[in-house]
Amino acid sequence: MISVWGFYRARFKTALAVQLQYRVALAIWMLGLVLEPIIYLSVWTAVAAGSGGVVNGFTVSDFAAYYIVLLVVQHFTQIWHMWEFDWVIRQGILSGRLLRPIHPIHNDAAENIMYKLLMLVVVVPSVVLLVLLFQPVLNPPLWSALAFVPALLLAGVLAFLVGWCVALAAFWTTRTFAINQVYFIAMFFFSGQVAPLALMPPLLQTLATLLPFRWMVAFPTELLLGRLTVEAALAGFAAQAGWIALSAVFTLLAWRAGIKRYTAMGG
Amino acid sequence: MTPPAIAIQSLRKTYQVSQREAGTGAALRSFFRRSTKDVVAVDDISFTVQPGEIVGFLGPNGAGKTTTLKMLSGLLYPTAGECRIHGYIPSRREAAFLRQITLVMGQRNQLVWDLPAGDSFELNRAIYSIPAAEYQRTLAELTELLEIGDLIKKPVRNLSLGERMKCEVAGALLHRPSVLFLDEPTIGLDVTAQRRIREFIAAYNRRHGATLLLTSHYMADVEALAQRVVVIHHGRLLFDGRLASLVERFSPHKTITLHVEPLNGHDHDLAQYGQVIERDAVSVKLRIPKAETARITGRLLAELPVTDMTIEDPSIEEVIEQVFNAPADRPAEAQP
Amino acid sequence: MSRYLKIVALYVRLGILNELEYRANFFVQLFQSVLSLLLSLGGLSVIFSHTGTLNGWTQSELLAVAGVYFIIGGIIRLVIEPSLWRLMQDVREGTLDFKLLKPVDAQVLVSVNQVQMWKLIDIVMGLGVLAVVFAQPQMQTDPLRALFFVLALLCGGVIVYSFYLMLATISFWFVKVDNILVVFESMYEAGRYPVGIYPGWLRFTLTFLVPVAFAVTIPAEALTGRLSAEMLALGGGLALLLAVVSRLFWLYGVRNYTGASA
Repeated sequence: MISVWGFYRARFKTALAVQLQYRVALAIWMLGLVLEPIIYLSVWTAVAAGSGGVVNGFTVSDFAAYYIVLLVVQHFTQIWHMWEFDWVIRQGILSGRLLRPIHPIHNDAAENIMYKLLMLVVVVPSVVLLVLLFQPVLNPPLWSALAFVPALLLAGVLAFLVGWCVALAAFWTTRTFAINQVYFIAMFFFSGQVAPLALMPPLLQTLATLLPFRWMVAFPTELLLGRLTVEAALAGFAAQAGWIALSAVFTLLAWRAGIKRYTAMGG
Repeated sequence: MTPPAIAIQSLRKTYQVSQREAGTGAALRSFFRRSTKDVVAVDDISFTVQPGEIVGFLGPNGAGKTTTLKMLSGLLYPTAGECRIHGYIPSRREAAFLRQITLVMGQRNQLVWDLPAGDSFELNRAIYSIPAAEYQRTLAELTELLEIGDLIKKPVRNLSLGERMKCEVAGALLHRPSVLFLDEPTIGLDVTAQRRIREFIAAYNRRHGATLLLTSHYMADVEALAQRVVVIHHGRLLFDGRLASLVERFSPHKTITLHVEPLNGHDHDLAQYGQVIERDAVSVKLRIPKAETARITGRLLAELPVTDMTIEDPSIEEVIEQVFNAPADRPAEAQP
Repeated sequence: MSRYLKIVALYVRLGILNELEYRANFFVQLFQSVLSLLLSLGGLSVIFSHTGTLNGWTQSELLAVAGVYFIIGGIIRLVIEPSLWRLMQDVREGTLDFKLLKPVDAQVLVSVNQVQMWKLIDIVMGLGVLAVVFAQPQMQTDPLRALFFVLALLCGGVIVYSFYLMLATISFWFVKVDNILVVFESMYEAGRYPVGIYPGWLRFTLTFLVPVAFAVTIPAEALTGRLSAEMLALGGGLALLLAVVSRLFWLYGVRNYTGASA
């Protein structure tokens, strides 16, 4: 355990140095992250404005609160390793990581955590700016505000595991791009990005409940907005725990099978 | 006397380079401010090259060779001084000038990676507006000389490094340039491929009377091609003259290899004949002043149990190495 | 001039040949385009299940916006973006030298030197969407609108190209800015909807800082009869101005690259 912690500390340092090197890239990636919620916030504000200020119980300032919280949740649950993993395998970088006495998932986890912490430098001002610009109304009950923190942490873990599992597809195919796209489009519809799930057609709502994406993004968001009952919140935590267990097992199995294949083919 | 093909007068180039130290602190600092410093890459160089001449342009890494070639081809604007190619000022990059020159850089490639070289050639034909008949003639000649008839139909990515380089050279010569700048044209190639390229360059020079300025780390290239060499070091001109006189000038020594039996116990004795460069159980290599050769060999044969002895000029590599190790502030000397 | 056209045609041909080497890319691109269409259609259907018009645009009109979004996006990714991406790579690796040594205008060479043929799928799909939209009886068309649309598309194309060229030219000074081209890519996403729905500061950004409005919204406005002649003239003026400015900036960049301005 101690050695894993030491690795994380060292990896944080190099990740920081790399990120600072690519300062422009960083700012731009951030721009994309901030822009998307604004697009749909603007869309729904326009919809609300056109229909007397309320859509299905969401006022303009509710939408503002929803999308600003969504931005924060998305920041803490974003994952990009699937875009790199194919390259990591093809370039033989994975072979180097396999030689280390520590599981390669720690490398990506450390990078992921580091990035999310570092980028708070950009996220916090963005949120402050958006709050000033869009005047959201947010007054959740105390319990749901408190429950938001573990929900967000679990969501982060879940998103990382699922995303990392998707990345492992690169062991079997070189066309991971298509898989990643499907993943992100599912995310778009089922995680509450295009609209709060309450505004989606019933069929999509049911699907969203069955898939993991809702529990990665929409659930913590709705929790902080105070839109969930205690029962719904508990069910949400149960769903998160269940999906984490399931994806952990699946990731483990997929990793073993993938590595077997990788070493059989001689990297 | 004909006007020179290449005329360089007091050419100079300084760069600004940014620098940063290792470590998180330095990374943070350079995140906000990047410090720079001036570096003199080429410092007051002058020489001329006659039409049809092949000149080897030598110097260690970072001596300023590539910078000079880039100024000559118009890719870099000189900080001071002047160069002219057939009367043109390169940095103006006039079309008429660009049609006369070519630049081949061994480590860089201008062929489209996934397509046969022939397709890239077609593009060059359009860019240089080469008439169809002339293009066919040149292409036929180049493919024959370089033996790439079949290769130009294969995607470039499937070619070996040597094959790729040959196609690269052919593509660079389709417009029949009269001045060729070759920057490490044989780098990374195996010995056979190196020889091919070398033979081709010589043949092209003979047939078309083209002027060549060539840099290479392989002395074999230089020995085979260049009657004359220009050596620069730390951006300054160190030598300009025949290859043979370079050896004479910079190496007033000979190397004697001795086989003596038995060697043990002769340490003191050997050092008094000359500088010991290498020794093992059965042989020893001595460096001696050239003028003393006869006297010292005589003494060696008389005083030691010599079983075998060879006397050689040092290799060009050795001479060049010696030249490059010379201090930077040594004044530039040019042969008349 | 005809020589330049020939060179452009040759580059396009090379691009096509190049893509044919990787036939699977066709299917990858098809898949990607269909997903992107799904994203637009799905978003619109969710939105219009709650409202009849969005900021004065009907669902059909917004579908037309999506069509224009695909067409312009396709044009950008067909040649502008890959070529200027390649320019940055050429600067970094030093292979730009070869292009500067050619006896033709280097700006032409760097602007067409990479063609990603399969992006044509986006263009075809966009045209298909427009065809479906305008096949509906309630959508009216007339020659003037069509003319305005073509002119607006042209202006949008020039503006976006000039914008990209200026971004890419920055790489003469800062080598590691490849990602700057992604600015447009991520801001372009906002073009799925007319810029009028965005708050003022964002509308300004999307119009004058990153010209998404000129690329998508204004042609779509022309198509749906919303664009005034004055606005079109303004777009034309801006296109001309940006073309000149980006040309000058490019020349300045080349001079800097060769050390002539230092």
